[in-house]
Amino acid sequence: MDSGINMLCFSGSYVIALGLELSGLWTQVRLRRPMLLVAGGAGLVAHTWYLGRRIAEMPAAPLANQQDWYVLAAWALAIIYYSLKFYYPRSATGMFLLPAVLGLIGASLLVSTAPLSNSQGPRIWIQMHGIFLMLGTVVVLFGFLAGLMYLTQSYRLKHKLPTRSRFQLPSLEWLERVNSRSLGAATFLVGGGFFTGVLGRLAQEGDQNFVPWTDPVVVALAAMLLWLVVAEAFRLVYPAARQGRKVAYLTLAAFVFLILVLAAVTLEDSLHVGPELSENRDSIPRDPFPSLLGTAICQPADGGPR
Amino acid sequence: MNLRMIGCSHKDAQLDVRQQLAFNPTQTLEALGFWQARFPDDELALLATCNRVELYAAGSADPRELVDALLDYRHVSTRQVEAHLMSLADTDVVRHLYRVTSSLESMVVGEPQILAQVKQAYQFAQEVGSTGPMLHDLFQSALRTARRIAGETDLHKHRVSIPSVAISDLASCVFESFDNKHVLVMGAGEMAEETLRYLRDAGKPQIHVINRDAERGNRLAERWSGQYHEWPELWDQLVEADLAISTTSASEPVVTSEEFDRRVSPYRHQRPLFVLDLAVPRDFDPAVGEALGVYLYSLDDLAEACKNNQAARAAELPKAEKIVAQETSRFLADASHRATAPVISGLRQELERPKKAELERLFQKLPNLDESGRREIEQFADRLVNKMLHPPMESLRDASQNGTPHGLLDALRRLFKLED
Repeated sequence: MDSGINMLCFSGSYVIALGLELSGLWTQVRLRRPMLLVAGGAGLVAHTWYLGRRIAEMPAAPLANQQDWYVLAAWALAIIYYSLKFYYPRSATGMFLLPAVLGLIGASLLVSTAPLSNSQGPRIWIQMHGIFLMLGTVVVLFGFLAGLMYLTQSYRLKHKLPTRSRFQLPSLEWLERVNSRSLGAATFLVGGGFFTGVLGRLAQEGDQNFVPWTDPVVVALAAMLLWLVVAEAFRLVYPAARQGRKVAYLTLAAFVFLILVLAAVTLEDSLHVGPELSENRDSIPRDPFPSLLGTAICQPADGGPR
Repeated sequence: MNLRMIGCSHKDAQLDVRQQLAFNPTQTLEALGFWQARFPDDELALLATCNRVELYAAGSADPRELVDALLDYRHVSTRQVEAHLMSLADTDVVRHLYRVTSSLESMVVGEPQILAQVKQAYQFAQEVGSTGPMLHDLFQSALRTARRIAGETDLHKHRVSIPSVAISDLASCVFESFDNKHVLVMGAGEMAEETLRYLRDAGKPQIHVINRDAERGNRLAERWSGQYHEWPELWDQLVEADLAISTTSASEPVVTSEEFDRRVSPYRHQRPLFVLDLAVPRDFDPAVGEALGVYLYSLDDLAEACKNNQAARAAELPKAEKIVAQETSRFLADASHRATAPVISGLRQELERPKKAELERLFQKLPNLDESGRREIEQFADRLVNKMLHPPMESLRDASQNGTPHGLLDALRRLFKLED
């Protein structure tokens, strides 16, 4: 089953694509666009293959462990990047999106590869919880990047800087729409992730059927959800927050909360790993290229949680 | 080749001269029919745009007669326009039409409309039946040259006219589409109208005109299927607008920062407003551009953007000129080939006929000749004909490098008694 495709393959393709994107700032490279499509496409195919193989190895993948979760989020963002290459062929969206894709892949190397806790409760809640939060993360990230692009484009127009140069961005109208919609979608998805997590916890059997409200992960996620709800309400009630720079600022703030949540999950997570693994999380080997050891880690020989 | 072009363009003739020679589509069709009757053996096509009037002819018509035909139709005396008319022949005609079609001769180099105008000029000639193989080849190769330049250079990517830069390069950075956008036109200046033309090409905006002179304002609104508003509605219109184009002739700013902050900003809720202040002196106080959501561009800002694009475009010109030179050579070589081919074929036939007759006579005299002997003799005769043809062919090819060698072709026809 081992096809030899690991994280290095698709990360390398994305790095090449980013290099090509950046090269456009200084020089006119012949056949740059086809090369970009090939590099990005190759990365996406390898990425998809990698995730497909993980699913074949483990039914719980690609939400089997934190590392998979990050790699899946990076894949979703890479799909957005590749789609935009067709919708906005000349724009420099890759300069914003590809570092985020690579950032997520990089972060996946820092997080635990231990299996997420084997809940005794209904599996559906766990799956929905993971999917909602993964999509919420992608949407918040994309909204944040659209916000950055909006502020850059707005600054250039305000200060009469050249706009037809080698660094082109989508229109303010489109970026504002993306910002606005991403905020609404993020509220729904993070809310969904939060409540399915709570329900999944309450549905567990044994002494785990309670919600640890003081846990840093729960606190950070609740704070993020609260912020998103307030921001969305503010956007709906206050007309000025629906357009222009204000909505971009709201998405930037949502990103700060996302970083807090991810930091809490990475550093202080006791909810998503089994008790015995939680106690020994520092001793869990971290494999940067899990395809090499993935099966062994995700299917412990001692019959531990999968 | 016998190609001729007479006419005038924005380079040599002022607007008043060009206006005297202007042709609308109906007049073009009528004039071509009229000239066709006058020059039945010639191929004719007329390219008439607001910046040029050019009559292309292939055949034996004298350039003087072509000038007379053009001026007679428009009832213009030769004395009035003589100094502004240009007359080109053969290679210069080819090169000129290639440059015109590729917009290298346009007022705004790189503008795309000329390609469609050249195409239409040829279609008119086809409709009337005044065109033929020579003009067909010329116009088709001109369109091919223009397409090559568009595909192989970035000449058309950098816009340089103020309205085109304003809409295509700047307003499109703010708006995803211009459909249903509230466009406010303040004043009824020419620049506003030209900007509206670009806007209409880009989408279907809702146009609102506001002007102190109601009659002029109404006229402009009607022309663009827009709505006219009285001047006191200015502030309400600015609240509603997505894009404002200002071209009034007011001597003081019409929109001051204080008034804008008081009467417009609070009601816009930072909704983006793109302002093109095309008036001299300015209609908008520059401080208005500091308001949140307002992107204010004056004529100077736009001129700066145009200058940057002009520099970028200038870098592309040598590539375009190289393509024109390549295509001109190709056309001349093809034309020369077309002209020399019948003479070459005639020459070969003239020598083949006696060769065959002599071979037949010889084979009858030598009935015992075996098959290999006959083949040897036939090959000897072929080699002899080819060697005899080689020097005139080479001379013809050398002479064809610089256009069709009419003199040499004529001499060969007479020497070898070739029929046309």
